[in-house]
Amino acid sequence: MTVNTTVLGAIARRLAAALAVMLGAATIAFGALQLVPGDPVQILLGQNNTASPAVRAQIAARFGLNESVPLQYLRYLDHLLHGDLGQSYQLQQPVSGLISSQLWPTVQLMIGAMVVAVVLAVFSALLTAGRWPVLRAVSSVGELIAVSSPSYWVGIILLTVFSFQFHVFPVAGDQNFASLVLPAITLGLPVAGLLAQVLREGLETALGQPFVLTARARGVGQNGVRLKHAFRHAAIPLVTLTGWLTGTLLGGAVLVENIFGRPGIGALTLEAVTNKDMPVVIALVLLSAFFFVLISTVVDLLYLIIDPRLRTG
Amino acid sequence: MPLSRPVRLITAALALATLTLAGCASGTTGTTAEAAKPVAGGSLTYAVNTEPTCFDAHISPQDITGEIDRNVVDSLVSEDSSGIFHPWLATSWTVAPNLESYTFQLRKGVTFTDGTPFNAAAVKANFDSIVAPATQSQYASSLLGPYTGTTVINNYEVKVSFSSPFAPFLQAASTAYLGFYSPKALAAHSDNLCAGGASSVGTGPFVFSSYTKGQSAVFTKNPNYDWGPANATHTGPAYLSQLTFRFLPDSATRVGSLSSGQAQVIRSVPAAQVKSLQETSGVTVQELEQPGGAYNLWLNTTVAPLNDQKVREALQRGINISADVNAVYFGVYQRAWSPLTPSTQGYDASLANTWSYDPTLSNQLLDEAGWTGRNAQGYRTKDGKVLSIEWPLLPAEYITDQRDVLGQAIQADLRKIGVEITRPQYDIGTYLQRAYAGKEGILDSSWSRDEPDVLWLFYNSASISAGGQNATFYKDPTLDALTDAGRATLNKTTRDQDYDQVQQDVINLATTIPIYNPVTIVGSQNSVHGLTYDPNDWALFYGVWLAR
Repeated sequence: MTVNTTVLGAIARRLAAALAVMLGAATIAFGALQLVPGDPVQILLGQNNTASPAVRAQIAARFGLNESVPLQYLRYLDHLLHGDLGQSYQLQQPVSGLISSQLWPTVQLMIGAMVVAVVLAVFSALLTAGRWPVLRAVSSVGELIAVSSPSYWVGIILLTVFSFQFHVFPVAGDQNFASLVLPAITLGLPVAGLLAQVLREGLETALGQPFVLTARARGVGQNGVRLKHAFRHAAIPLVTLTGWLTGTLLGGAVLVENIFGRPGIGALTLEAVTNKDMPVVIALVLLSAFFFVLISTVVDLLYLIIDPRLRTG
Repeated sequence: MPLSRPVRLITAALALATLTLAGCASGTTGTTAEAAKPVAGGSLTYAVNTEPTCFDAHISPQDITGEIDRNVVDSLVSEDSSGIFHPWLATSWTVAPNLESYTFQLRKGVTFTDGTPFNAAAVKANFDSIVAPATQSQYASSLLGPYTGTTVINNYEVKVSFSSPFAPFLQAASTAYLGFYSPKALAAHSDNLCAGGASSVGTGPFVFSSYTKGQSAVFTKNPNYDWGPANATHTGPAYLSQLTFRFLPDSATRVGSLSSGQAQVIRSVPAAQVKSLQETSGVTVQELEQPGGAYNLWLNTTVAPLNDQKVREALQRGINISADVNAVYFGVYQRAWSPLTPSTQGYDASLANTWSYDPTLSNQLLDEAGWTGRNAQGYRTKDGKVLSIEWPLLPAEYITDQRDVLGQAIQADLRKIGVEITRPQYDIGTYLQRAYAGKEGILDSSWSRDEPDVLWLFYNSASISAGGQNATFYKDPTLDALTDAGRATLNKTTRDQDYDQVQQDVINLATTIPIYNPVTIVGSQNSVHGLTYDPNDWALFYGVWLAR
């Protein structure tokens, strides 16, 4: 009974904190967009536009842009509480529909990129930590290059080789698994480099610990020591970093989706920010805030699984 | 069929060759690839650089919307590249002598792809919907000018009326922006025609089947289509079974998708990649000069020091335009001599070479204007003020064609004659605010439309007000009279004279510095045949077929 109430309380606290984070994010985004100078109707219409003053007034009235800023804010919050994300100024479609249609391709891309990153990092670090100096040096340099290459460049190189030259993968779009491969590698490579460096560092520290010696004394083989003992130790910083990096992938997706002509949240974000499409921008900010809350919850849960000491609290 | 200019020349040359051969009675019939028999079927992917924010041509002012919707909607008339109008959904028309009304006889037996018949009521429903304030049309309503209403005379006859003489109407009526959606779709989907997809119902050669935002728009053949424009090369349905517009904003990806065969046609090939693409086997590159306004610098005549004509002339003659344009665009773009491009109806060819680069004259003019002092950086001064002019940069995402790089070359030229050009980069809101308020010295833009009436937008004083495009802010009764008169007549000789005068006047007044003629560069695979362009240089897919 008491266990249940504790768990429920914890969940309630988490939810309340998540709501507070998201409200804060929405408010900051709204405020930041108010600071952007210029007439929103003019920005919406763009440079080469012959819309008459009557049309301009009509547009302002339709989106409530002729009202005072506090009123606009309250109206916005009111709509938000009713689950209404509003209507895109630029695309003239409901924001919720836009986001839901663009979310899945980006989620696929992010999952793909994280799988690429984690698999490559774990493989490279486990293989080379604390042994084979030449191979270790080579993979370490490779990781540094992966971290420091702009994804734009990596994407073009991959496209040129695997799509334009050898026709292994399609150039662009979101049709099937094959079209996901190159974008996922492009987005995942720099992350893999970073994760591998951190994991190798952690593994090497762990391998120098007394418990490794104890394990060896018990007759555990080289691979057993690495996988069962050192890896579990080094995994905590890996998970923390992976969680944080997953969040930043949303930003990286902007570039990758652009190069590969993929639909997704990144492309939508770029378009919305460029056009000061307020309802879309705020909804996207809310979405990423939600994303971060979700990931940090998952990371916290993973800690409990990895490190038994944290479970007894 | 509105062929593009280069294609037209080649076709003319071929026709001549054929005639000569026929004269020799050699019996040779043209069996070039172009003359081969078209085959129906196949699917074509056309990779473009921009994606419409709204697919409703009645609302959106975007070029890409017009180009895409051209496949779905038909117009009353069709304009060819020499500015002649041909029957399309209208079989004939008469223009009232005062140019205040146009009466169209409509084609019979035309149906929208939802089964609704196309008739006089459909024309009225479309035009009335465009001007309705609730539609919030950003471009099409301005194409209707002083529209007062459409009268249904009988089922297949309509009269479109205006409150003042409106000569540009036939050209406007030929564009996709005044194309026809099914009245049923207009009524049922007035809110989401912007969203594209199956709700966009027209009478066109293709049906809008699906749209994936951020990726592609897919069209399938309209099998019942039998009402193509009278100047098309064939009748009946389109040849292609499927047409896909693929949105690839990155130019390297676009070029790669063409050379690897994943797209059959691409547009907006960067000037720098034209040469390498020309050397790729199996690929053809076409350079199409855009009609309309050239890429012009507009000098604001209401702010110092540009309110002094001598200073404006000094700027106009002090930029080495030919060298700059050649350096930045590798000889693919040509320098401009008039605010209109040579492919625009009414272009005044006599302006060529009349105001060449002459830094000596520029220096002399600036001396005469009293800018004789020099400051530490070598810029001219007068009464302690530096000869400095602000020409703001658009935010990076709005800059096309490397115009920022070209701007640096212009800046460097003017520095040589002692003029300082500052180029602050504002956010788009501030930029537009300052531009429309007339606070900037120089602004730059190009404007694509095959109709000299764009000169009205550029120079009529009525176009200075909010939302107007007259960035010279120059009020001149002569220019007003000429640009108004051009709108009020269909007499080609009178129009040409009026518009020639406008072009010469603005060069003489030095309110405008034309820089280059924008070019649309299209790359296509050699298996693509019958690709033509409308007067705006937008690809037309009705007559396209793929060789097997």
